[in-house]
Amino acid sequence: MDDEDNPEQTLQKKHQLMLERLSARHQTRLETWKSDPSDSSTTTAFLSRFNDWKKSIAAQIESSADPSGLPDISAAISDLEKFVAENSYLLPSYEIRSSLKTISDLKQSLENLTSQLIPKKKFSFKTSKPTKTQTQIDTRIPQPDTVSVPEQRASCPSRESPGFRHKQNQVLSQNFKGSEIGEFTISDLDSCEVKLIGCVNALFFNRLKNCKIYAGPVMGSILMEEVEDCVFVLASHQIRIHFAKRSDFYLRVRSRPIIEDSDGVRFSNYCLKYEGIEEDLAMAGLDEETGNWASVDDFKWLRAVQSPNWSILPTEERVGDVDLVNSRSGVRFKRSTTRESGKDNH
Amino acid sequence: MGLLSIIRKIKKKEKEMRILMVGLDNSGKTTIVLKINGEDTSVISPTLGFNIKTITYQKYTLNIWDVGGQRTIRSYWRNYFEQTDGLVWVVDSSDLRRLDDCKMELDNLLKEERLSGASLLIFANKQDIKGALTPAEIAKVLNLEAMDKTRHWKIAGCSAYTGEGLLEGFDWLVQDIASRIYMLD
Repeated sequence: MDDEDNPEQTLQKKHQLMLERLSARHQTRLETWKSDPSDSSTTTAFLSRFNDWKKSIAAQIESSADPSGLPDISAAISDLEKFVAENSYLLPSYEIRSSLKTISDLKQSLENLTSQLIPKKKFSFKTSKPTKTQTQIDTRIPQPDTVSVPEQRASCPSRESPGFRHKQNQVLSQNFKGSEIGEFTISDLDSCEVKLIGCVNALFFNRLKNCKIYAGPVMGSILMEEVEDCVFVLASHQIRIHFAKRSDFYLRVRSRPIIEDSDGVRFSNYCLKYEGIEEDLAMAGLDEETGNWASVDDFKWLRAVQSPNWSILPTEERVGDVDLVNSRSGVRFKRSTTRESGKDNH
Repeated sequence: MGLLSIIRKIKKKEKEMRILMVGLDNSGKTTIVLKINGEDTSVISPTLGFNIKTITYQKYTLNIWDVGGQRTIRSYWRNYFEQTDGLVWVVDSSDLRRLDDCKMELDNLLKEERLSGASLLIFANKQDIKGALTPAEIAKVLNLEAMDKTRHWKIAGCSAYTGEGLLEGFDWLVQDIASRIYMLD
């Protein structure tokens, strides 16, 4: 029996002892406070000291004008916090809460001061930009869906390829014969007619609306993006058509034309005439009709069935031969009235 | 014997190199491959999918993977990354407008861990076209100097049309891969 009672009794004894120790400690604390000659009552004494301290810190924060004093203020606040913690045994809970609130307010105003005196560095990417005087290669109207990275643009060489850009309701002509032009760019045109005579290495088309483009043979490739309601008469080794809508293409190509992200595009055979075009076509290796204009690959339609995005232009809707006639005033456009559908391969 | 040395021995026997050709559409990847293989380059359709060419080059067998560059199929490039010894990035030096696209795609490619050991050859193609940027200008636009220091790379001007510069570029690539994989034998 003794053995069984023993553990419980020892536990009780221990508990008793602990309570006594705690109460003794509490008593000592009270006595130390009371023995302090300057204080009559613990709470009021604490509050008066706390308030003095608080005022001095607040004054320091207000008057501080340079960052060198900040560590001192911060140290004073932690001292005050320590003072509150030491006296928390003796204070009513309301006083503890209000003093802790005061301390957190002080900390906040110190923080505000710090951010005023030492402004935080904004996080940013910095690129050493070379000369800002360079003209950008690409002067496209900013589009929300294209991510523009100006830093990278700035590093582009200022060179701009020859071409026609940013025109409306105009007839534009260019003769490549005897010129030094390798590649030619046609971009940002609205309701224009463009006539290109002679051979060129490469053609780029961008953002054309309601335009008619007639071009002599291209010895390399044609790359096209964002065209709408246009008519193209082109001959080339390769042609890539991207983002085209409701446009007709009269092509002679050595390889299969491709479309991507396009719809409502129709194809027919090349029908351009100008004086000397036969020699130009022969020089570019485009003198033979290959029939490739009708073998379009749609990269957005990788299936065996016919893509709904393109079709062969019905014979009755095709324009006849397009004749660019040289005259003194430049190139004049003449459309023959007779339809020559008999020349079609298909 | 570690796995790496076993792989090295196997490769040494076959002397094979796997080379991946990538770049934007219209940059001339297929034309380059056909040209160095001595084939007709006058009728090449834009690549729908990919072509593989096995070419004997010096004492090595190059397996060249020429992958289509159209926007729609660029996301499939990653299917070809595995075990690539050499990477050939082809740039159309006459296409000034899309150099930003070109830089972006190259940057993305070089982040790829599976390609981290591959030697990189950048072909500034179409140098025959008047108005094309020089290799130095292309290097500047692509910010090649800022590339990871561990990468073996070189930029070379070329014309797939005339064939100029192609062999010089491939010579470097093959030598660089050989010195890494076959340890200069």
